[in-house]
Amino acid sequence: MLQDYLNDYWPIAILLLLTTLLGIVAIGLGYLFGPRRSNKRKNAPYESGMSPIGPGTRQLPVKFYIVAVLFILFDIEVVFLLPWAVIFKKFVDEGLGNFVLIEMIIFLGILLVGYVYAWKKGAFEWD
Amino acid sequence: MLYSMDDMFNILPTVIVVAWATALILVEAFLPKKYKFITIWLTVLGLVVALVAAINQHGIEAEAFNGMLVVDGFSSFLNILILGSGILAVALAVGYNKRFGFDRGEYYIMMMFSIAGTMLMSSAADLIVIFLALELMSIPLYIMAAFYRGNVNSEEAGMKYFLLGAFAGGFILYGIGFVYGATGATGLSQVVTAINGGVDSPTFLLVGAALILIGLGFKVAAVPFHMWTPDVYEGSPTPATAYMAVGAKVGGFAALIRIFVVAFPTLSTDLVPILWGLVALTLVVGNLVAIAQKNIKRMLAYSSISHAGFILMAFLPYGDAAVFKSSVAAALFYLLAFAITSFGSWGVVIALEKSEGKGLLLEDYAGLGRKYPALGVAMLIFMLSFTGIPPTIGFAGKFLLFKAVMEGGYYGLAILGVLTSLFSAYYYLRLVIIMFMKSGEPNIVSDRWVTLVTASSAVATVVLFMVSTPLFAWAEQAVLKLF
Amino acid sequence: MNETLAFILEWVIKGAVLIAILLTGFAYTTYFERRFLARIQIRVGPNRAGPFGLLQPVADGIKLIFKEEVEPAEAYRFAFLLAPVMTMVPAVVIMAVIPWGDKVVMFGREIALAVTDLNVGVLYLLSIASISVYGIVLAGWSSNNKYAMMGGIRSTAQMISYELALGLSFVPPILLAGSLSMSEIIQGQQSSAWYIVYAPLAAIVCFIALLAEVNRAPFDMVEAEQELVAGYVTEYSGMKFALFFMGEYIKMAAVSAIFATMFLGGFDGPGVDTYAWLGPIYLFLKIFGLLGLMIWIRATLPRLRYDRLMAFGWKVLIPIALLNVFITAALIVGLGI
Repeated sequence: MLQDYLNDYWPIAILLLLTTLLGIVAIGLGYLFGPRRSNKRKNAPYESGMSPIGPGTRQLPVKFYIVAVLFILFDIEVVFLLPWAVIFKKFVDEGLGNFVLIEMIIFLGILLVGYVYAWKKGAFEWD
Repeated sequence: MLYSMDDMFNILPTVIVVAWATALILVEAFLPKKYKFITIWLTVLGLVVALVAAINQHGIEAEAFNGMLVVDGFSSFLNILILGSGILAVALAVGYNKRFGFDRGEYYIMMMFSIAGTMLMSSAADLIVIFLALELMSIPLYIMAAFYRGNVNSEEAGMKYFLLGAFAGGFILYGIGFVYGATGATGLSQVVTAINGGVDSPTFLLVGAALILIGLGFKVAAVPFHMWTPDVYEGSPTPATAYMAVGAKVGGFAALIRIFVVAFPTLSTDLVPILWGLVALTLVVGNLVAIAQKNIKRMLAYSSISHAGFILMAFLPYGDAAVFKSSVAAALFYLLAFAITSFGSWGVVIALEKSEGKGLLLEDYAGLGRKYPALGVAMLIFMLSFTGIPPTIGFAGKFLLFKAVMEGGYYGLAILGVLTSLFSAYYYLRLVIIMFMKSGEPNIVSDRWVTLVTASSAVATVVLFMVSTPLFAWAEQAVLKLF
Repeated sequence: MNETLAFILEWVIKGAVLIAILLTGFAYTTYFERRFLARIQIRVGPNRAGPFGLLQPVADGIKLIFKEEVEPAEAYRFAFLLAPVMTMVPAVVIMAVIPWGDKVVMFGREIALAVTDLNVGVLYLLSIASISVYGIVLAGWSSNNKYAMMGGIRSTAQMISYELALGLSFVPPILLAGSLSMSEIIQGQQSSAWYIVYAPLAAIVCFIALLAEVNRAPFDMVEAEQELVAGYVTEYSGMKFALFFMGEYIKMAAVSAIFATMFLGGFDGPGVDTYAWLGPIYLFLKIFGLLGLMIWIRATLPRLRYDRLMAFGWKVLIPIALLNVFITAALIVGLGI
């Protein structure tokens, strides 16, 4: 009937559905029972009581983009580490532990160079 | 699946370049501002060491990493070519980068990585490795194109090159997927075995080959995949343009030759008409549009497109192994000729370029021949070489190429090649006329390294013509083991 | 056909039970936090609604339902509504792979005390954890408010920075267990020892990163009133605010469960082999202890300044976590653990 492989994922789908439903119901309850007395002042963006100045969304410091790029870089490193970690013990059992360990050290060594470079160039500073 | 240190030694030149560049990143990060020039010297030193290793390795035949990389005459020819080009490109960049205020060590490190990618391309014998090498070659080029920060043209060039290059990379990857689907292998020799054993879906294989051809066509700037070339060449810092004109072409053709010679000889009947059209289009469009250009960088960009067309001609005698051997050798020789001539002419462009894109129009060259006769004569030699007029290496390249193509029986294309060469004479020699016949007061920026590159290229263009027979013999030797 | 129906029923019941537990847990975590904080600060805390103030969460919930839902005039309405749901949903869904115990026999069926057992459980954790970042970005951006925008972006940068250390600190348990499946990681701990013994450094890094992941003190930039009002929740009110709140507290429980599973043996404890029903109790106790620790930390430590927070994540946690990966790998090679 249902494939075995998918059997592991159906519960998640059902849970996802139930949770989303819960969220929608919760928001719906608020709209159902909450009062609606809106006026222009109340709906203005909150700026500590002052009249809002300029648009709410504006350009962000480029710092955040650098963090995002670095994140992608190092996240991929982590993603490569995970399968390596899974098979590591099997290699150790076959006597190839040093080999896979050195392999990973080379791979991470290259990334480490980039990390040190980013550090020296001030990518992690927040002035 | 294991490998040993022998694999590393077999690809020693590439390993040297990669390790050196990686170490240089750290050096660059820790050097105080005052000593940044050391990076440049270290780059040159690394390239020289790798060049020595590559020359030392000449004549060795080996496999590395379970056949994913192959070391043979072909790869060592191209390694020597690209390493030499790299040294010339560094020399061109030093003064220019300082002059325009983006004098940073990362430029040279990026170039080293790109060189490493090109070297890997020349010895890659696995489609996945070819793709990785291609990206290693291209990504630094995108950065180099955008290196003149704050200059809109340079940023546009980097962006355009990046988007289209990524697009081309997608084509290649998709093609690799198709080939893998059809044959169940990514190693070139396994692909051949699978094809010879009969493929279930020849269409898939053909589609894959065509997609790879398209993707690499982007890289070598063949029409109709050339749209990025003029803009990128114009916007990039000129030394970066000089390097990418040669580096990307060497890498692209290395992969094209390796893939199509080794893996797809059986597809020749299907691919030859496509290649014929590609070559004809590239020759005609490249040479005709170049005539209309007023900016020298754009003119040289279209000229480099047309030279890609000439090199692509070598692919036509595809099914005929005997002729193909000499035509591929001719292509290698042509690449060498193009590289030398190209670096020389870009050197002249750099000598004349002023800030804010001044000094790049053809009329800015008026009077150059009278005021600076040596530079004028050098440019004359390069233009003659580009056109293919003796006594220059460009003539030898075209001669050998046309000869090989005619041996293959493609007389129509050979005639087209000669005709478009005549067209090209118009715009190449027009520059010469402007330089020598028109009056003007050009000012050059004195830069001893650029002068050195220009002078030595001019000398080499003539001298290598004299020794073109042994050079071609070397190229023939290089492709011997490919088939 | 009947078999399929039974399966679907089982899944629905499991999901519903999990949600019910988490909702109750959420409500009483807030109560627990307020009481516990009050004790630490020598106050009494909420004690009016019901015996010992036990009905306080219910009262709060009812109050929030009857609050007005204010929407800023220039908010991007759909995204504004979507954001709280997107923050809350991953917090619940992430719990799906946490095993609560071994298999038990109920109604003549053998039922595993977990919603599901993926063979890529750890990857699932990491991917779902990163989805909740979207909710925060959306909330910050769609509010059309400077504080919200800045708070959303800051929280996002913080979360993704600490996610790296988190991912790296998961590697030692995977190395030791040789599997990405949560149940196999627990089995590995049952057969040897809890992984906090083998990889204490990774456990510390993991706990710190998890604190940052749920925006708890001392990493609670969201609640840095002095700087950003309320960060990305500035413009939220009523039930939408409650959903953010819910997401945060459920996530606290979820990361406690994750930490317990990765380093503290999950449902493992004395006697759990014979009495499978002890499993959920042990896990619950561990989660409860970790929650208490989190609240204690909140009461004790001051908030980090933003630049220090980022520097700490990038310059301290990541190198340590990376180093620890190799220490663990070397231990496995050297000692054959």
